[in-house]
Amino acid sequence: MDQFYNFIDFLTSNFLDPKKRVFLGYLFSGFLIAFLWVLFVKKISFKQTFSYIFDKRIYFAKSAISDYFLYAINLFVMIIFSPILLSQLTIATIIFEFLHTQDFMIPIENIFVVSVIIPVAFTLCYFIVDDFSKFLVHMLMHKIPFLWCFHKVHHSAEVLTPITVFRTHPIEGFIFVLRNAITQGAVIGMFYFISNGNIDLVTVLGANIFSFCFHLFGSNLRHSHINICYWRWLEHVLISPAQHQIHHSVKKIHHDKNFGVTFAFWDLIFGSLVFSKINQQIKYGLSKKENYIKHNIFQIYIFPIRESLNILFTIFKKNIIRLCNFFHVSVFKFKKGF
Amino acid sequence: MINTINKDILKKVMVVGTFSLTLPFLAISNSYGDGHIYGPNPITLKGYKGSKTDSTSYTGQIARQLMHNSLKKIVSKGNPSDPTGGPGKKMLKYFEEKDKSKSMAILDPKSSSKFPVKQKMVGEISSGANLAGKSDKRKQVSWPNNMSGGDVIRFMIKKAGKISGGVDTRNGMNYPQLISKYTMGAVLYHQACDNYLDEKMTASVKPNNKPYKKGAAYTGKEHSWDEAFGYWGAAAHTMTLSAKQSYNVAKKKDLKAADFNKDGVVDLYKEMTYAHAYYASAFDKGGKTNYLKTVTGAFIDGRKIITAANGEKLSSSDLTKIQDLAQVICSNWEQVIAEAVFKYAGSVYKDLGKVESALKSGSGMDKALSKYLKHWGELKGFAMALQAGPDNRSDTFNRLNRMMGFGPLMPNLSQVVGIDSAGNYIKDQGSSIAYYKLHMLKIQNLVGDHYALKARANDATGGMAALIEKMGPKKSAEND
Repeated sequence: MDQFYNFIDFLTSNFLDPKKRVFLGYLFSGFLIAFLWVLFVKKISFKQTFSYIFDKRIYFAKSAISDYFLYAINLFVMIIFSPILLSQLTIATIIFEFLHTQDFMIPIENIFVVSVIIPVAFTLCYFIVDDFSKFLVHMLMHKIPFLWCFHKVHHSAEVLTPITVFRTHPIEGFIFVLRNAITQGAVIGMFYFISNGNIDLVTVLGANIFSFCFHLFGSNLRHSHINICYWRWLEHVLISPAQHQIHHSVKKIHHDKNFGVTFAFWDLIFGSLVFSKINQQIKYGLSKKENYIKHNIFQIYIFPIRESLNILFTIFKKNIIRLCNFFHVSVFKFKKGF
Repeated sequence: MINTINKDILKKVMVVGTFSLTLPFLAISNSYGDGHIYGPNPITLKGYKGSKTDSTSYTGQIARQLMHNSLKKIVSKGNPSDPTGGPGKKMLKYFEEKDKSKSMAILDPKSSSKFPVKQKMVGEISSGANLAGKSDKRKQVSWPNNMSGGDVIRFMIKKAGKISGGVDTRNGMNYPQLISKYTMGAVLYHQACDNYLDEKMTASVKPNNKPYKKGAAYTGKEHSWDEAFGYWGAAAHTMTLSAKQSYNVAKKKDLKAADFNKDGVVDLYKEMTYAHAYYASAFDKGGKTNYLKTVTGAFIDGRKIITAANGEKLSSSDLTKIQDLAQVICSNWEQVIAEAVFKYAGSVYKDLGKVESALKSGSGMDKALSKYLKHWGELKGFAMALQAGPDNRSDTFNRLNRMMGFGPLMPNLSQVVGIDSAGNYIKDQGSSIAYYKLHMLKIQNLVGDHYALKARANDATGGMAALIEKMGPKKSAEND
């Protein structure tokens, strides 16, 4: 019985932690925003709004159900592998120690700067660096075929719910852990050095204040069918839920657009920003060519590994042939020799 | 019928009477005889004809604790212009002489109205002990010129005798700290763990069926065990105290906790906390460790096993138990010293930041330097003390010594690298302050990992782990 309670506790932990996007408070605020949006912007009745937001065809779709299973299984996978993954502390310590060997950056002694400015600067800096690293890694996940094999699991979702955020292949999960370790470790190491160890994070309910605001104001709606748009000027700065939904579109014109998480200006700089339209109708999922990943859990885990290995093998073969050509060794002779 | 009633009443009266009479004795046995107090123990030595009734004895060790305390006091208060011959002579007296004439005053702790102590002279506890005779005889690689432990202390004493207050600001040597901390290792820890709890706990050395020495009231094993306990420096009633109380006893702040027999004075033999037990209390009161009671409890348990042998040779199973307890004592003791190295490496790291600021601003150097040299003295002293134990961890010690150096890196980047034949320090240009700070971080990593430390006071990078914890470790597979 205890094990059963532990299991339930384990599964629900993300929903009770304000540091997590799917914290119940954020889900509630997200649905409230959605409710108000549909009611006042789409101007439909209260009853229709309710059934539109909580559409059972979405939450009980095959795609959504596979998301729920992936969430539970991935929790266990990550628990098993997390001890061997690179930790933020390792990176932070390396950066912190490295900074002792240089002269261009020195610790700040001013009490006001250390006690007031540094915590705010650290909190903001971490949020921005973290967001940029997410953008960058996300873009690479799309542009590099080997990585796309894994990321397409997320894009295979045909309906979007807040739990789609967990529709992730574990290999991609490990990449995200590595990204987080590097960014968090680097920012902590640097600020820890310049503040002589006197840093703190500005938090609300224990979460970074900026993350708290991002989640409170509807981050969960990115993965939903509620296509909330921002004003055009704001969509230059922040990614709206509708902009992220464009990112999940099947249409070719929408491929490799809107990689950003919080800020839109990364996409603006890298030329991948697309603005949303009111009442845009988007079909989510993969193109027919790639849509061999169905909502079967086994296929979701295994196919990307098989496909990525094929890519690696093709690259390896190509390079061996190139190498043989370079050294003027006939592939035929090479084969014969063996 | 009446007879039956009377008998029943009589029975009840007897039961209640017996219970009420036994209760006070049970209460007494709870505080004296149930293993919470170190001693008294019965005489078990076969054929003992003397008048003594207690076989527990560690007077020589407490005398050495008091000599160590007093030595530190003189070094820090010494004045080289003293017409009586300077503090150097006085310091050497406390290090080398045996107080046969009972003329050696206890300089610390001294009696006060808030903390009255029973003894005023070292000789009131033991008249035949000195520190020099028990110091580590091995060559010390942590100090220049491969001197023995005793020679290192003698060298430091001679240097300290020439400087007012015992702090050499030119070379960066804070002798009160260096001498005190290293003596704790080279005499107290070394004797306990590399002698009494080491070879003297083997079957053939100081057996339990023979007196420790001719005419003694205790057996070989009983006294060897007691002596090690005396070097540990815990009050006999430590198990009845909290770590904070034990700490405050050493600080002379808690008479109530110290005065176990309620006679209004603190018996420096049984009721005082010294040296290593004081440091163990200091770490334990933080709540992360339990060194004080682990070690003291093991001493009490071990003494019970030896006493229970009743003057017979220890059986092989008892000997194994004793050796296991000795292992518990010495590994925890070693960790206490390692915790101190860790703590002071963190202090030095912080101090160096202040020295850098003073260099930049051009003010506050005296204060910053004074703190830095004090903490460096403690760091170096404890690092040297750590090397006085039985284990030969040469790689760890070599790295520790290399990163720390023979002297602290001074603000002008000079550092002691050796000693010439005339006994003068040889200096060279050291690394940058930032590099030396990095060495302190590495010392913390080295010692913290190697000895699996838990208290980790002044952890220079500990805040990073706490911050990461606060930010929430992200080890879940989620897209954005």
